[in-house]
Amino acid sequence: MFLGRVVGEVWATRKASDLEGKRLLVIEALDERREPGASKVTPVIAADPLGAAFGQRVIVAFGKAARVACGGDGDFAFEAAVVGIVDELDAPLAPAHWMDNPGGGEPPARAARKKGS
Amino acid sequence: MLLGTVVGHVWSSVKDPTLSGCRFLVIQPYTRDGKQSAETLIAVDPLGAGIGERVLVVFGRAARHVIGKGHDIGFQTAVAAIVDRAELCDGASVGPTAAQDRPAAPVREGKKA
Repeated sequence: MFLGRVVGEVWATRKASDLEGKRLLVIEALDERREPGASKVTPVIAADPLGAAFGQRVIVAFGKAARVACGGDGDFAFEAAVVGIVDELDAPLAPAHWMDNPGGGEPPARAARKKGS
Repeated sequence: MLLGTVVGHVWSSVKDPTLSGCRFLVIQPYTRDGKQSAETLIAVDPLGAGIGERVLVVFGRAARHVIGKGHDIGFQTAVAAIVDRAELCDGASVGPTAAQDRPAAPVREGKKA
C-alpha cells in the first residue's frame, strides 16, 4: 500500500471484460516524486471505486485488498485499487509537496467539454 | 498495474508446458517527464497488441485471470488492456503510441485526440 496523488485517468476500448465500466486512474506515489521535476517517475494505474478527483491524495492497495475494495475476492483483471481518499495528512518531516491539497479538479478534457469548447 | 509501450516480441519453444500458446511481449514501462525507462518487462498478451502500442500491464492473480488458463500457470504478468488515451492533470496526455503523446502545455488548449 502506498500514499499517492491522482495525476490522470486512462481510457481503453480493447480490454479484459471485467475492466468494463471500471474507472482507471494514473497515480504517482508521493515518495517517488521526491522533488518537483524528479527525473523518472513510473506512475501506477489503479481501479477507483470511490471517485477520487484529479490532484487528490489517495491510499492505494494491491492484491487481495484491492479486489475486496472493488466488491469481492473474485477474479478481476486488476490488482491495484484506490481504497481511501485522504482528508488530512500530518507528516511534519515530509516534503512540502506532500501537503498540497487542491481539493480535486476535473480531468482537463471533461472540464473543456463542460465549457463547451 | 502499469502503463507501458510494446517494444518487442519474444518467442520461446522450450518453455513451461502451461505457457503453450501464449504470446509474449517486451514492454517498456511509461515514465513521466519524458525519460525513457531502462528496464523492460515480459508479459503474456491475450489481446493482440502490436509494437509501439500503449498497454495496461497487470501482475499476479489478475494477470493469470487475464491469461485465462487458470491459476496454475508459470507466469505473472499480462496485458489487460490496449490504451486509447490517458489524460494527465498537468494538461499532458498519453496517446495510443508514444508518437501521439502530447506534452504538458503552459496554456491549455481545447484540442482533443
